[in-house]
Amino acid sequence: MKRKAKPTRKDFYMEIKKSPGRFLSILFIVALGVAFFSGIRASEPDMRLSGDSYFDASRLMDIKALSTYGVTEKDVRAMEQVDGVALAEGAYSADFLYNAADEQQVLHVMSLQEHMNQVKVSEGRLPEKSGECMADDEGGFKLGDKITLHSGTEDPVSDTLKTDTLEVVGLGNSPCYLSYGRGSATVGDGSISAFLVVPEDTFALDVYTEVYLQVEGAEGLLAFTDAYDERIEEVLENVEDITEERAGARRQEIIDEANEELEEAREELAKGKADADAELADAAGKIADAEKELADAKAQIADGRVQIENAKATLYSKQTELDDARTQYYAGLEKLSDGKTQYESGKTRYEEGKAAFEAERPEAEAKIEEGKQGLGVFREELDKGWAGVSGLNRQIEGMEAAPLPPDDPGYSEWIGTLEGLKAQAQELTNNLSAQESQYAASAAELDASVLKLQEAEAQLTQTKESLDAAKAELDTAEAELSGVPAELDSGQAQINSGWAELTAQEAELDSGEAEIAANEAKLVDAKEEYEEGKKEAEEEIADAEKEIADAEEEISDIELPKWYVYDRSTLIEYSGFGENAERLGAIGRVFPVLFFLVAALISLTSMTRMVEEQRTSIGTMKALGYSKAAIASKYIGYALLATVGGSIIGVLLGEKILPYIIVYAYGILYRHLPAILVPYEWGYAAMASGAAVFCTMFATIMACYKELAAQPAVLMRPPAPKNGRRVFLERIGIVWRHLNFTWKSTVRNLMRYKKRFFMTIFGIGGCMALMLVGFGLKDSCYEIAELQYAEIQFYDGSVYLESDVTEKQRKEIAALMEKEENIERFMDADMQSITLVNGKKERSAYGCVFEDVENIPEFVDFHDRKSKEQYLLSDEGVIVSEKTAKLLGVKEGDTAEIKDEENGNKEVRIEHICENYMGHYIYFTPAYYEKVYEEKPEYNSVFFSVKEDCTSKEMEEAGKHILKLDGALSVSYTHDIEKQLDDMLRSLNLVIIVLIISAGMLAFVVLYNLNTVNIAERKRELATLKVLGFYNGEVAQYVYRENILLTFLGAVVGVVLGKFLHLFIIETVEVDSAMFGRNINPPSFIYSLALTVAFSMLINGVMYFKLKKIDMVESLKSIE
Amino acid sequence: MEGFVSLKDVKKIYKMGEVEIMAAAGIDFDIKKGEFAVVVGPSGAGKTTVLNILGGMDTATKGQVYVDGRNIARYSQKQLTAYRRDDIGFVFQFYNLIPNLTALENVELALQICKDPMDARTVMEEVGLGERLDNFPAQLSGGEQQRVSIARALAKNPKLLLCDEPTGALDYNTGKAILKLLQDTCRNKGMTVILITHNSAIAPMADRVIKIKNGRVSGITENPHPVSVETIEW
Repeated sequence: MKRKAKPTRKDFYMEIKKSPGRFLSILFIVALGVAFFSGIRASEPDMRLSGDSYFDASRLMDIKALSTYGVTEKDVRAMEQVDGVALAEGAYSADFLYNAADEQQVLHVMSLQEHMNQVKVSEGRLPEKSGECMADDEGGFKLGDKITLHSGTEDPVSDTLKTDTLEVVGLGNSPCYLSYGRGSATVGDGSISAFLVVPEDTFALDVYTEVYLQVEGAEGLLAFTDAYDERIEEVLENVEDITEERAGARRQEIIDEANEELEEAREELAKGKADADAELADAAGKIADAEKELADAKAQIADGRVQIENAKATLYSKQTELDDARTQYYAGLEKLSDGKTQYESGKTRYEEGKAAFEAERPEAEAKIEEGKQGLGVFREELDKGWAGVSGLNRQIEGMEAAPLPPDDPGYSEWIGTLEGLKAQAQELTNNLSAQESQYAASAAELDASVLKLQEAEAQLTQTKESLDAAKAELDTAEAELSGVPAELDSGQAQINSGWAELTAQEAELDSGEAEIAANEAKLVDAKEEYEEGKKEAEEEIADAEKEIADAEEEISDIELPKWYVYDRSTLIEYSGFGENAERLGAIGRVFPVLFFLVAALISLTSMTRMVEEQRTSIGTMKALGYSKAAIASKYIGYALLATVGGSIIGVLLGEKILPYIIVYAYGILYRHLPAILVPYEWGYAAMASGAAVFCTMFATIMACYKELAAQPAVLMRPPAPKNGRRVFLERIGIVWRHLNFTWKSTVRNLMRYKKRFFMTIFGIGGCMALMLVGFGLKDSCYEIAELQYAEIQFYDGSVYLESDVTEKQRKEIAALMEKEENIERFMDADMQSITLVNGKKERSAYGCVFEDVENIPEFVDFHDRKSKEQYLLSDEGVIVSEKTAKLLGVKEGDTAEIKDEENGNKEVRIEHICENYMGHYIYFTPAYYEKVYEEKPEYNSVFFSVKEDCTSKEMEEAGKHILKLDGALSVSYTHDIEKQLDDMLRSLNLVIIVLIISAGMLAFVVLYNLNTVNIAERKRELATLKVLGFYNGEVAQYVYRENILLTFLGAVVGVVLGKFLHLFIIETVEVDSAMFGRNINPPSFIYSLALTVAFSMLINGVMYFKLKKIDMVESLKSIE
Repeated sequence: MEGFVSLKDVKKIYKMGEVEIMAAAGIDFDIKKGEFAVVVGPSGAGKTTVLNILGGMDTATKGQVYVDGRNIARYSQKQLTAYRRDDIGFVFQFYNLIPNLTALENVELALQICKDPMDARTVMEEVGLGERLDNFPAQLSGGEQQRVSIARALAKNPKLLLCDEPTGALDYNTGKAILKLLQDTCRNKGMTVILITHNSAIAPMADRVIKIKNGRVSGITENPHPVSVETIEW
């Protein structure tokens, strides 16, 4: 055997020596495939290991438990007794606000632990006493900084901490915070900016806020692995089992304590009540006494007043009487003197009358006598008249007694004489009657004169009598009046003394009244005081009673404290770290497949070619009697050696370099990882090598199989030439006729060597795809900032308001913004951190309410990523960002819940899902917000956009102006966020470079190999062309034409493949807080194509020399 | 200037490491224009070297090679390629058709690079393949393939037709038919044909027979009355 083996072995070595290119190409592609597979796969455990070693070294907790009523020392001890718990340690933590230079930050203050979660000091020292702290490396604090904390709630800081001012004595990091994230808080803007570590005794709390546990045996297990998770799960369940009991105990404790306090309070209240009652009663009694006294005094005074009034009235009436008397007296005097005067004048007149009468009397008596005589004469004349009348009458009667007849001629004379007689009688009668009345009147006059004289005489007598009477009267009156003046004087004196007495009494009364008024005022005060005191006491009592009632209710309401038991996933970024590792695994599972496929294909073509080339030699060996196995062993051995060599190189380099690069790249995110551990992962090495060996062996055996099955004689003869075949294209006459026949040949050639055709396309396509992924990753990650802030949230910044901003301050800010000429528009908005829940999935997001629904499109554009359909916010539901919806597993039209532990979750309807890359958002209209929360939104920020030509400097200037106002808390600009994002994503550059390099290598290996095989297979044809007089360039063209065509076809395939691969990778590497773009930009296609073409050209360039070296003599050789 | 083709003391030395192999040790001969010349000799005598040098596929280490009055021995690679494409028609022992091109296309392939080509179809008809223009080489018999090969060489309208054992892979009758075609071409078109063979039996059909042995010309026979191929038996 040995002797026989020798020449074959030599042949084997010679074979390798003779065709180093082929050997190396297999070796290289295998190395590449293995390196990628094992390298990327190993990154997953390496990353975990690097993390785990850090966790173990810093003694990171395994389980964290906390209860709603705090954790007592007893709880901690009980936890420690739980099966599987190695160590339990209580700790304190709380969130506070801190007003940094330009913004308000939330700081997470935690106690320095002795056993677990050991912080690492990077500068300064650990805090040693109360008032000192170690600050977060990333917090931007310097040694010696003094940090003054505010509680952000109604409770003062002193409830929690003994001091509210901490001095930074050290800077460092904690294993609880792997990356930049610091988690969320319930105060301030809800997101923690940094942590502070203080000595335990800085906290003023009675009970721990949380307890940390370490699990027995967990340290030996690798974090993020199932073994670890299961172990933790097991112990976590044990811990959860006792939480109920602990909760019960804690509740009882709290209830007892509360009841005790309540009892004390009740007693105190009862005592207070009694005291108050007694005091009040006393006061009421006194007031009543005082009131009575006052009333008495008042009555007396009133009495006095009445008496005085009476006296006054009497005095007044007396005075009046006196005055009347005086007046009467004076009137009497006057009358008297008047009477005297009258009497005198009467007497005088009487004297005068008497004298006159006496003088006139004789004359009057004479006249009367004369009248009497005149009358007698007159009478006699009258009687004579009367006798004439009667004579006439008798004549008349006589005539009438002898009347003449009317027809007697004497008649007219007779009549005439009669008539004359009648008229004479009449006239005489009338005259006599008038004289008669004249007589009567003169007689009457005479009688009157007699009477008058008699009367005057009587009057005089009368007057004499009355004068005498008046004289007597006057004399009595005079006598009477003379006694009055003395009487009057004594009366006046009496009245005067009465007044004097009254005045004195009045003064006395006045002073009494004043006293009463003073006392009354005092009494009113006292009453008021009493009322107040009463009210106060009542209120106090009512309050106290209510408090007690409340307390009672509270006590009866005291629920079991809720225990929360978490594993490490509660730590910020911890899960993210594991997920990143897992993602690497996912990439590692997919990416290298490409390389393996290529490796297998390359081995297949190479080995097929090799076997074909050695057809004769195989025939000869067979003819000589070698067994199939012996013959095949040469090729298998050849491939095996190349594969194993390649595998070893691949494992050795790949498992060191790739994980290092990748973990290093992640190290930018997880910068506190102390060391990157990249041990060899033999499992992946074996897996990769095994897969590689399988691929190449399979290919080799497939290649040998056909040839080995043939008879030696057949093998010795040249193979039947491959049939030329018409291709599909020829049937399309128009195209085919217009093709240059060299193109025809190219097309036919491509079709003829199908294996090569597909492999080249696959190789080039793979290369193109990888580059596309590389550039696309860059696009997707780098562009999200651009997309997010130019196409979705295109406002330029936002002003955050103080939490206690007043309406006036708001108006001031609005007015300033209105005035600021660079600010084009602005809108009030409410931004707050909320947690969305759908089933078991939870995701925290920004709840965002815009005040002015109509103008939202000027600040944010809601649209679907794919269809670009625009959405508007409505009062019927919310719009949720795409990634959020995806992570929650909700679709349009679904309902999700907003977590609210106090008042129960609130349901929201998801109306639309919008394109969004950075962060998670849920947008409400004010109306819908009100519907959901049953309260109006409180706008805590103002979004603004600046004019287009405004520079960022001008914008910041405007921001500074706004910040000067009292209500403005901070201003943030989107260009800052963009910049931060860019910085962070820069770590991806490494990944992209790795991708491009590997793509290049892939392209090179594939193209080189395939071209080599192609040229070898067509050596004769090419030599013939040369003999026919084709210039080297023309020959090369003949080959290149195919390559170029294949390159472009491959590129097309690569575009498709790359799109899919890109999508897959993006979805795999994407972090939860952001959605990477799904886009690949046109320049990336161009770069990828250019690079692919460049690689292809490079290969063609190398091939040129190979072509040139083809010996024309080959054409003369017989067909092998 | 003795003839159309003239070799003067052509030597070709291959260096194989330390050893020098003299493939041609000074070959001299002349061939006149329009002659049908046969170069015969046993294997390894140096006839292929002669062919390579004449065909512009190799250069002589020493000596001059005149073709149509120009010394191609000093030609650069580029000049040689131009010489091959313009002046030489080559008929291979194994036809060397491009398997992927039809018979006609194989002819056209040569014409594409040529200055003054003949019409491909005409040539194909002339070689008796007017009916099989669109067949692929694999669909043709050996004789037919060789006809295509000849057609491809002729269509270039070369100054010199070089044939390397054109009947080597053919059966007797077909070989004869091919030789007849070559002879007719030479006669009818006045083409200078140089045929290289180890079969000395076909010497009588040539105008000139050049025998080569051990890298030298062992004898040149001019045949004033060449016979027709049909009359030759071997």
